[in-house]
Amino acid sequence: MKLVKCLRHALTMVLHSRLRSWLTIIGIVIGVASVIAIVSLGAGMEAAVNSQISGLGADLVTVSPGYSRAMRFGPGGDFDGGSSASDATLGRQDLQVVRGLPEVKAIGTQIRGSVEVYYLGEKATISLTGVDQSTWKDITTDGIGEGRMLGPADSNVVVIGERLATEHFDKPIGINQLLTIEGRSFRVVGILEEGTGSTIHMPISQAYQVLEDSVRGEYDSIIIKVKDGVDVQAFVDKLEKRLMLSRHVTSKDQDFSVSSNIQFASRMSDMTSTMTMFLAGIAAISLLVGAVGIANTMFTSVLEKTKEIGIMKAIGARNRDIMLIFLFNAGSIGLVGGFLGIGLGWIISKGLGAAMEMSTIVSGGIVAIALLVSVGVGIIAGIVPAYQASQLSPVDALRYE
Amino acid sequence: MGEVEVPALKGVDLTIRRGDFVAIIGASGSGKSTLMNLIGCLDIPSKGTILLHGKDIAKLSESDLASLRGRTIGFIFQQYNLIPTMSAFANVRLPLELQEMGDRESKARADKTLTLVGLADYAHHLPSQLSGGQQQRVSIARSLVTEPEIVLADEPTGALDSVTGREVIELMQRLWKEQGKTVILVTHDLNLAQYAHTHIELKDGRILSIMENTHMRMFKERSKE
Repeated sequence: MKLVKCLRHALTMVLHSRLRSWLTIIGIVIGVASVIAIVSLGAGMEAAVNSQISGLGADLVTVSPGYSRAMRFGPGGDFDGGSSASDATLGRQDLQVVRGLPEVKAIGTQIRGSVEVYYLGEKATISLTGVDQSTWKDITTDGIGEGRMLGPADSNVVVIGERLATEHFDKPIGINQLLTIEGRSFRVVGILEEGTGSTIHMPISQAYQVLEDSVRGEYDSIIIKVKDGVDVQAFVDKLEKRLMLSRHVTSKDQDFSVSSNIQFASRMSDMTSTMTMFLAGIAAISLLVGAVGIANTMFTSVLEKTKEIGIMKAIGARNRDIMLIFLFNAGSIGLVGGFLGIGLGWIISKGLGAAMEMSTIVSGGIVAIALLVSVGVGIIAGIVPAYQASQLSPVDALRYE
Repeated sequence: MGEVEVPALKGVDLTIRRGDFVAIIGASGSGKSTLMNLIGCLDIPSKGTILLHGKDIAKLSESDLASLRGRTIGFIFQQYNLIPTMSAFANVRLPLELQEMGDRESKARADKTLTLVGLADYAHHLPSQLSGGQQQRVSIARSLVTEPEIVLADEPTGALDSVTGREVIELMQRLWKEQGKTVILVTHDLNLAQYAHTHIELKDGRILSIMENTHMRMFKERSKE
C-alpha cells in the first residue's frame, strides 16, 4: 500500500476513535506545552540578562580586592556574588600598574560603603559610591535622567540613583535638593536614568571623608575602559599577570580579581541555559507520560482492530502495510499533540511573560524540535503495538471477537 | 504440561480444477474452515503441501503470500467482515489500494463492481447503514474487484434470510458461469451445495467423498453454447 494511503487510513483511525485519541493527545499537548513555555521563558530570560549585561559595557574591566572563582558582578555593580576571605586592598601601586598598560583608555577608582542620610526629616541608610569624577562619566554604564553627571571641579554635590529619588523617602528627591550625609550637606545635581538603583555617587575625595572605614589611597575597585578593538579577555589575562607580579602573589595566593562583563555574560548565559534545560527536562517527563499514553492507546487499538487487521491481511495487506498504518496512527497523535502543545505553550509563555513582566522567545528552532520530538515520541511509543499488529496471523485475527 | 497437537485435517489429497464451482460440505468441526483457510493461503499446513499455480505456499514469503491472496483470491465471509468505519465504496476499493493501483483506475473498478452487485446507489453508505444482504453484496464486490481467479466463500448466506441468501448464491453462480471464476463454497447447508458443480464432503478432518453434480455440469455446458 502506498505511504499516502497508509497515512489516510491512520488518520481515519484517529478520527473514528475521537475520545480516546483526544485523551491521548492531551497528554502530549501538556508535555510539549510545558517544554515550550519553559524554554521560551528561559530564552527570554537569557536574552534579557545578555541585554542588561551588554548595557553594562563590554569594554569595561574591573579589578577588585580579594579573590574568588565564584560569580562576580561587572563594573560599577552593587552586587558581589564572589567571596573574599582576604583583607587585601587595592592601592596606588595597583593603579600605577594599570596606567602602564597601553590598552587602557580610561581608569576610574571607586570606594563603597553605607551612610546615614537625612532628607526632609526622614532618615535612611543608603549605599554610597565614591567615584573618580574626572572619568566617571566615561566608565559608568548608567545614563543621566535629570540634571547632570559629576564634573571634575564639583564639590559637595551628589548624583543619585532613580530608585532613591523616587521610592526611598516619602517625598521624592529632586534636582538641587539637599541631602544630609553623615552630618554634611550635599546638593543633588543629577538623577540617573530609570531603573538605576538607590546608590549615592559623590566625588571620591569627599567619600573618603564621609565613609568611616575608608583609607585615602585605598580603593574598593579600579574600573578600566579599554581602547576600541582590544581583545578584552587577553587584556584581563595580561593585567592579572602584571598585578600578580607587582603584588608578589601567585595564582595560589592571589588576593585580587580581574573580571570583565564578557566573562560575566558567559557565566550568566551558562547559568540560565542550565536552569532552562533542567526545568525543560522536568517538563519533558510529562512528554514521557504522554508517550506511555500513546503506547497504551495503540495497544488498545490493536486489540480493538484485531479483526480488521485479519480482514485487511485476507484481502492482501502485507505486514509492512499494517505496521505503517499503526505507526502513522501513533505518529499522527504525536503530530496533532505537538501542534496543539506548541500553540498552548506559546499562549502560556506569553501569559507568564506578561504576568512576570519579561519577554519570552518562542524560536523556530524550538518549535521544529518540539514537533520532531512529539512525532518521534508517538512513533517510538507505537513501534511495539504496530509490530504486534503486523505479526498477527490472518486466521487468528479473523477469528478474534 | 505441553500443548497437545490436534490435527484438523488428515490425509487430505485434493485437486481443484480451474473454473470449477466446488462446495465443501460437512458438519461442524469436520475441518471445512481449516481447509478453506489453507486453500485461501490464510494459514500454512503443519505437514503436507499446498500448491497454488504450482507454487508451494509454505515456501512463499509473508509479502508474496499477501500479494498472492490479494491478486488471486477473493474472500466472502459469513459475517461479511467489512471495515465498519469505511463506506461501501471504500471497502470495495481497499484491496486495490493494497495493490497500489492508481487512484483513477481503482475508483473506476470499485464503481463498476458496486454496480455489478446492484449497490451503485449505496456507495457512500457505511456498513451499519446497509441491510445484511446489502453488506454481503458489498463483501462480494470487494472479493471481485481485484478480478481474482478464485472466489472463496465461507457460509456466505449463513447470516441472511432465505430470499436474500438465494440472491447471493445465484450471484455467485453467475460469477462461475459468466466469468469462469473458480468458486469454492464452504457450507453445512446441503440445499446451498446444490448450486455447486463439485461436492467435497468432509468428516472428522478426512475427505469422505468427492462427487460431481452432473445437473450443474450440463447446465454450465448449455449456457456456454
